[in-house]
Amino acid sequence: MTEPVLLILLSLAEQPRHGYAILQDTLHMSGGRVRISTGTLYGALRRLLRDRWIERFQEQDNSRGKQAYRLTALGRRNLQSEVSRLKHLTRVANLRVAPRET
Amino acid sequence: MRALLRSLLYLYPAAYRAEYGEEMRIVLEEVQTQAKKTGPLAQALSFAREAAGLVHGALEEHAHGILFPQDFSFIPQRRLSMRSEFRFPKAAVALMSVILAAVVVAIDKAKAISASAPHASLPMGPIQPLHYSVISTLLITLAGLGVCGVLLWAVLFALHRSGTQRLSDLNPSASPRPGKTILS
Repeated sequence: MTEPVLLILLSLAEQPRHGYAILQDTLHMSGGRVRISTGTLYGALRRLLRDRWIERFQEQDNSRGKQAYRLTALGRRNLQSEVSRLKHLTRVANLRVAPRET
Repeated sequence: MRALLRSLLYLYPAAYRAEYGEEMRIVLEEVQTQAKKTGPLAQALSFAREAAGLVHGALEEHAHGILFPQDFSFIPQRRLSMRSEFRFPKAAVALMSVILAAVVVAIDKAKAISASAPHASLPMGPIQPLHYSVISTLLITLAGLGVCGVLLWAVLFALHRSGTQRLSDLNPSASPRPGKTILS
């Protein structure tokens, strides 16, 4: 799982969001480091829709033609699994990188 | 700049544009509006990033469409009808015209040569050894097989593009398209 995809899933884990809101949220989460382009965003959204990790979410007011997306149960399970994997990796990395006591 | 970014959306496959084009156009507008507020440099960087993203995404989708055409089959591109959807591409018409012109020119040249040559029987050249004729026969056979293969591939490709294969893959009992869940 690439970092942009992880950030997109994390963004949708909180609440349903439409395209531009996802871009803003991923930028905010990464502290301005990861700027996802529109092409990259929709490529990732298409793959996530195909794999049924996310689904379309019909908002009450979608008069501007914005389409919101939300995480499915499968997507949430996979995201939790990825987060657990990253936690384990971070723990191991901390043990390896931390200065050794003499 | 906005017009250029919008025009880059046409690089995507038609089915993809029908599905996501309008959403992407709205997001591009919002991104450009936001970038405009932050200054010309940020706007130029944003434009470059978006343009690169669109080109990369379009190439990726085309590659995906070639490798996994079934992923796009769920997107209805036009009404299902019994009429064949196959159309001769313009390139094929141009190619056939060029071939026809070449045949006409060859016939004219042959007539000119025939008219200019004396009718007396020409002296025959030395007879080629057997292995030369075998090699040339093999080469001609291989070339013929190659041409047949190309023609067969073209017919299969045309059938695939025509929707015949898509029609045969159609499963009426399949569940509705995923991702269209609507909250009530």
